[in-house]
Amino acid sequence: MTGVWALLGALAVAGAIGVLLKVREGRISSSKASAVPDLPAPVRDLLVAPGVTLVQLSTTFCAPCRHAKVVLRDLADRTDGLTHAELDVTNLPDVAASLGVMRTPTTLALTADGTEVLRVGGVPKRDTLLAALRPHLP
Amino acid sequence: MLKDSPVDPRGPRFSAWMTTVILAIVLLTGWWRLLAAQTVLFAMCAFISLKLNPWGHVYRYAIQPRLTPTTEREEAAPLRFAQGVGFVFALIGTLGYATGLTTLGMVATGLALVAALLNAALGLCLGCEMYLVLRRYVPALARPQ
Repeated sequence: MTGVWALLGALAVAGAIGVLLKVREGRISSSKASAVPDLPAPVRDLLVAPGVTLVQLSTTFCAPCRHAKVVLRDLADRTDGLTHAELDVTNLPDVAASLGVMRTPTTLALTADGTEVLRVGGVPKRDTLLAALRPHLP
Repeated sequence: MLKDSPVDPRGPRFSAWMTTVILAIVLLTGWWRLLAAQTVLFAMCAFISLKLNPWGHVYRYAIQPRLTPTTEREEAAPLRFAQGVGFVFALIGTLGYATGLTTLGMVATGLALVAALLNAALGLCLGCEMYLVLRRYVPALARPQ
């Protein structure tokens, strides 16, 4: 009988996690945009001036990273002043930790001086992201 | 360790459904030998090759021919990592059931079921997305550069 409850419990937990992640997928959090932080060198090297660089953090084990790459590359190709760069942090956990990134894909939108404009967890939604980036594009 | 080529993503989803069913049977019956067999299966897929997965063969011969072909391919690395996560939970579960720590067995099996079900229903691999966090606490996961 306990097994039945354990099964029901597991199904409920899976359902809750699934709903939570679906809701959070592609959600944009705007950054405090305060002083320029100590950006790790591998990230700083990717920044392109002028405009905004979308730095996508990925790992070898991340299947949705590929989908994020397709969305972001396409968006960058069609938008002036927007560049996409992917950084594989599989062997750079310190970089991810110093940026406060827990999951991949996470995409940071950075200006040329290293100021973080916003970040997106999961596979970004094209139109929502573009709308959020508009004020920061040249 | 063999290197697997990219696969049709619907194969692993089918496989995850079968895993979900097996883990559900284990929870309902407490039949730990079945869980032990699943643990061995996880280990073979994670540490040797995904080709050893019997559900992959069932998918290729019985299901794939009935579906419209897809050019979509999924890399093998995330899939094998997911099998490794499954292996850890299934191993703890088997040890729990086999040594009489039934609650431990149920909790570990339940967590493995949560992961398998999320994978099957949503194509989501929690362990893969949280790799960076896992690695911080399990240094052994670090890959040689």
